[in-house]
Amino acid sequence: MPDTSTGVVVIGGGSTGAGVLRDLTLRGIEAVLVEKGDLASGTTGRSHGLLHSGGRYCVNDEQAAIECVEEGRILRRIARSTVEDTGGYFVSVTEEDHEWEPRFVEGCRRTGITCERLSLDEARRREPALSRQVRTVFWVPEDGHLDPFYLVVGNVESARRRGARVMTHTEVIGFLRDGDRLTGVRIKDSKTNEEASIACQSVINATGAWSGLVARLLGVEVKVVPVKGTMVVLSRRLAHAAINRCHKPGDGDIVVPGLSVSILGTTSAKVAHPETLPIEWDEVRRMIEEGAMMLDGVTTARAMRAYAGVRPLYDLGAEAEGREMSRNFAVIDHQVRDGITGFTSIVGGKVTTYRLMAERVVDVAARHLGVRTPCTTAEVPLNDREEPLDQLRHRPSLLGVPKPHGDEPPLQPLLCECELVRPQDVAPWLKDPAVRDLEDVRRRTRSGMGPCQAAICSYRLAARLVSDRGLDGASATRAMADFLETRWRGVRHVFWGSQLRNMQVTTGLHMELYNVDRELMLQHSPPPLAGEGQGGGRGAEPAEVGAQR
Amino acid sequence: MITEEFEPTTDTVEEEASVEACTKCTACNTVCPVARSTDIFRGPKALGPDMERFRSPQEAAVTPGLDLCSGCKLCEVTCPSQVSIQEYIRRAQNQGAREKGRSLRDWVLGRTRLLGRLGSMTAPLANFGNSNPLFRVLMERFVGIHRRRPLPKYQWLTFERWFKRHPRPVKSRRKVAYFYGCWVNYNDRRLGERAVAILERNGIEVVVPHQQCCGIPAVVNSNMDLARRYGQQNVRHLTPVAQEMDIVASSTSCGLMLKHDYGHLLDIPGSERLGAKTYDIMEYLWMLHEAGELDTDFQTVPMRLLYHAPCHLKSHGIGYPAMRLLRLIPGVKLEEVDEGCCGISGTFGVKVEKYDLSMKIGRRLFDAVKAAGSDYVLADCETCRMQVEHGAGATSAHPLEILAKAYGHG
Amino acid sequence: MKTDVAVIGTGLSALAAARTVQQAGRQVVLVWPGLSSLYFLFATIDVIGYPTATATESVADPAEAVARLITREPSHPYARAGMDAVHAGTRLMLEWFKEAGLAWQGALNRNFLLPTATGTPKPCCLAPASMTAGDLSRPEPIVFCGFTGYQDFAPELAASNLKRQWGAADVSAIRVTAPGYGPDRLFTSVDLARSFEDATFRDAVAAQLREHVSGDGARVGVPGVLGLTRPGETFAAFQEAVGHPVFEIPTVPPSVIALRLFDRLRKHLQEAGIEIIWAAPAHAAQVTDERCRSVLLKAAGHEFPVEAASYVVALEDWVDGAFRAGVHTVRDPFFHEPITWNKVPTDRTAESLFSTQPFEQVGYALTDRLQPADENGKPLARNVFCAGGAMAGYDPSGTKSRGGMAIATGYRAAREALAA
Repeated sequence: MPDTSTGVVVIGGGSTGAGVLRDLTLRGIEAVLVEKGDLASGTTGRSHGLLHSGGRYCVNDEQAAIECVEEGRILRRIARSTVEDTGGYFVSVTEEDHEWEPRFVEGCRRTGITCERLSLDEARRREPALSRQVRTVFWVPEDGHLDPFYLVVGNVESARRRGARVMTHTEVIGFLRDGDRLTGVRIKDSKTNEEASIACQSVINATGAWSGLVARLLGVEVKVVPVKGTMVVLSRRLAHAAINRCHKPGDGDIVVPGLSVSILGTTSAKVAHPETLPIEWDEVRRMIEEGAMMLDGVTTARAMRAYAGVRPLYDLGAEAEGREMSRNFAVIDHQVRDGITGFTSIVGGKVTTYRLMAERVVDVAARHLGVRTPCTTAEVPLNDREEPLDQLRHRPSLLGVPKPHGDEPPLQPLLCECELVRPQDVAPWLKDPAVRDLEDVRRRTRSGMGPCQAAICSYRLAARLVSDRGLDGASATRAMADFLETRWRGVRHVFWGSQLRNMQVTTGLHMELYNVDRELMLQHSPPPLAGEGQGGGRGAEPAEVGAQR
Repeated sequence: MITEEFEPTTDTVEEEASVEACTKCTACNTVCPVARSTDIFRGPKALGPDMERFRSPQEAAVTPGLDLCSGCKLCEVTCPSQVSIQEYIRRAQNQGAREKGRSLRDWVLGRTRLLGRLGSMTAPLANFGNSNPLFRVLMERFVGIHRRRPLPKYQWLTFERWFKRHPRPVKSRRKVAYFYGCWVNYNDRRLGERAVAILERNGIEVVVPHQQCCGIPAVVNSNMDLARRYGQQNVRHLTPVAQEMDIVASSTSCGLMLKHDYGHLLDIPGSERLGAKTYDIMEYLWMLHEAGELDTDFQTVPMRLLYHAPCHLKSHGIGYPAMRLLRLIPGVKLEEVDEGCCGISGTFGVKVEKYDLSMKIGRRLFDAVKAAGSDYVLADCETCRMQVEHGAGATSAHPLEILAKAYGHG
Repeated sequence: MKTDVAVIGTGLSALAAARTVQQAGRQVVLVWPGLSSLYFLFATIDVIGYPTATATESVADPAEAVARLITREPSHPYARAGMDAVHAGTRLMLEWFKEAGLAWQGALNRNFLLPTATGTPKPCCLAPASMTAGDLSRPEPIVFCGFTGYQDFAPELAASNLKRQWGAADVSAIRVTAPGYGPDRLFTSVDLARSFEDATFRDAVAAQLREHVSGDGARVGVPGVLGLTRPGETFAAFQEAVGHPVFEIPTVPPSVIALRLFDRLRKHLQEAGIEIIWAAPAHAAQVTDERCRSVLLKAAGHEFPVEAASYVVALEDWVDGAFRAGVHTVRDPFFHEPITWNKVPTDRTAESLFSTQPFEQVGYALTDRLQPADENGKPLARNVFCAGGAMAGYDPSGTKSRGGMAIATGYRAAREALAA
């Protein structure tokens, strides 16, 4: 890995880092993004994907709510293809919820959130799955589903088209300094362990829950409290719109329709390290119980997997923990605070407001670089190419039609039959150097995210690693096995009902038909493509870091 | 509340929606007669459980190609996880028709009883028209019925009217209600006569309650609302009867509607009670036999018979009672011709755009029938019999007719 | 309906049991709730591939290895079936294959070592004749051949892995075009298999192979799609046209090799007058005085009782729905007894997917006669016998012993059922 140089190094490939990278390039600043896992493999990709209207925060955190309102409207403009405009409901179930209603209505009014009370009949007509326990329903049209993978990839690709570079599976292991001035970063490829330097004028630390760990490499403190949230994925969409409990934000009070699945979220528990995220049975059970209070079908749908993410709550010195802490973000100008030139951190926040966060931190960094170009990310759409970015492409209508129906495309073969991913959706990513394993392909295409959890498509993908990417068989087989193992880590927490049928097919297939277990045993050294699972995993149990969305 | 449901004593997941059980094993695709015969059909796995995840009331996601599913249900028969694959496809088909509208032809084909009434009232004329080449060309052009598809002959005297004049037996051990279906009523009264004769021979009084079309023609023509209306009428008329006696049906698909589809596909409340008392006539006769109540004083019937098990019979989940019964008859040489779907699937193979496909599906069966040679090809389902006669030039019969021969009727 | 023995199941253990009853001259009914989704695992009949789930040295003599396993683990399903059942069951099946026109090869005292679709050598005992030319104990070079647009067999992947694992000879990969098929067409293995029954198609593929494979005695490995209904003929014709030994490699899904096997055996039973009840899963056993009086099937509309003198339950534990896993308990569909209880669903799993899984071990406790038993070892019904995956501790994945265990337990359960 050669040494290189650039203007700004962005650390962190979540929504914030991706937003920062794009913002920088739009202002004409040369930049490199360095991410120790894959894009959206940390907090962003493990969020529930709710595009907040702001309703959730309008009572307790007015500032956050107002930001959500504004950013939600901007995202619908610039990131059309990553947003499912589903709208949302806030529903009351208990007497306590009922008492919250006036505060919610008042909060919406104060923060400018569109909110309309519906009769129960009308609400059930629109959303037949609303549970019988629901007493009051508010329609909040600006809730939606924001696909975290497409959002991050969309930002990064937009920046790459303007010359930005991206290094995934590359960890920052140290900084280069000239006195109090940062002059670059030391990086290490987490797959090959190769090291190199990137010389730069400025570094933006956009690592969210990992910000404190990165800052510590420089000897400065950034107080971020990692707060774990566990989510459960149901195998299909139970409701068209997002469903929120109308109460003080708590556990298990959101059901987000995400493309082909429903996501139940979430819990809130302080953890010691952003990569120590054990999934407890009690959390899983609570998600299902709470979800069932709002929606029918939660207990009869197949729970497909559970995963945990970590929120980067910024400690403003408040006593409060977890949800009581502000979701607001802060830009830390380390030149002002710690006397280190060329280092800026962005902490706190949420996916919905990633763009605003990026804008604010780039404002500071650009000022130090003497760049006066204003931010344009609120105006320039992510998909500014001629061809459609085609990101929410996984719809049946694109699969081709039988010939008698006219001059439409013929029936398309599929690579992942559950999530309707075509071979041509996967092909370009196999050529992308930032895509290093099959989990990376999954994040960009959704292959392997359906009910069979990659049982079938993993072989097809491994085959392409050899034929399209020139990998050797051992590495491709290892990649296939790693992919299945990562899926398995999420599956095993919701292991009842049809899950057992499906996993018996998976183990039978891979162990008996392919004899993959022996292939793995017989491989002596892990080939370069193999990783330690996602998120680096230093000092953490693989089973804990690995449960991805 | 889930906490109670998840208690150790009651935590089964029987209630899991059927689509969730799909393991993507693809067994269904391997048996689908349509997928086998055309490469423009994505197969039951894709159009059923796979696409079901992408359907919602707000986004119907009517997948192109859905109308190629013929509704044979072999996918469901084959599914190791008992996913109601075909029901998902049917619902989506229906949703599509509701949004896009139905053709005049499909409107008509869904109303077999109406057709039958018209046909039998004008029997000589209708039969002349149905076999007149010129008329058939016009029919193909303007209605969309394929010109080469032989259409059933209508009879002037319906089974209903015949039965009214039929003398009741003097004494009987028990009563059974007969669901004769549109075919017996308008096209094949003799089959009904034989069913009655066989039941009466065994000391059973036959009752013919007021009844409507079972609704399957409406279902397969994407008109589930109409089918539901028919089904509700039948449930209303037949449920009181079912409290007193069993109901038998001589048509495989009618029987399956009453037994199963009213309750599942059409969600007709109260239909389970009717379904539980409904039997296929061969199933019923075999039950009599096992109870020692069937008169097995058969005459020798020296015939070579081929038995084709209709797809929908497999969905009954009762095995092949006709084969068991016929093997009791001396002289009968019975073989099963196990070559899968005949291809007609009710009104599917009648349609101009599906006729060729339907004949292609049936080719394996036709070849086997021709190669085997036999006195009769037997099938419990009337459209299977039509198709085998048309495709293989064979003579066909309902297994009841052989039983009737053994009893000395005709 | 009434019969002597009712066999409930669709897999190889059920077929072995049904055949055993039939051969004994008794009446048997096969209750077939759907084509087992395990059908695609039965490309070959693996008796024992490795002595333990983690051993890397493969077994050379399966009979001897099973005998040793039986001594070592007296509660293993093989031990419960007994060595005699292993021999007798295998003999029964090989004779049956022959009678049904299926060309199979192999014997209990040796294993083939056949390459899988990932190119990993896999030991298996009995295999279709169309697969055995791939045996890696032979030295000839191997050319893996894939088809353009066919995603379920990757010759490059297989060649790369086998080259490293095997090392002995020359391994290479080519791709040819199957006429009418390509990357833009939606098709499955079954479509290809049907096309291969057509001589023109077959010859067009063979011509490309002749061109690419040089005449140094190389063998050609192709995905298992060489014909569906007349596999022997199709295979022979193709091999002749290619001019090299050809061997098939099982793929999934749908697996044509397994489909041929199951379709043929099922039809063969039906031709012999054995009745198969389709589409009616068993959901209750009516037991009085320790005997099962009938098994109720969930038929359309009503319950369909099967009254037999004895019953063989030969269901795979999860895929065939032998058991139902709730969040905490696993129950069986016949006696509705809790088979096992887990405080937390995660406890049913091992951390790695590729290791021995607790959920695969779940099954009926058994008496010495293979009757499902309660916790005190008392049979739940004296005339019900268990074979295949529904037995406790039945986990063939690691040792590669699915087929052998299915046959031995199916045979033994049927013998017990006949004796009951």
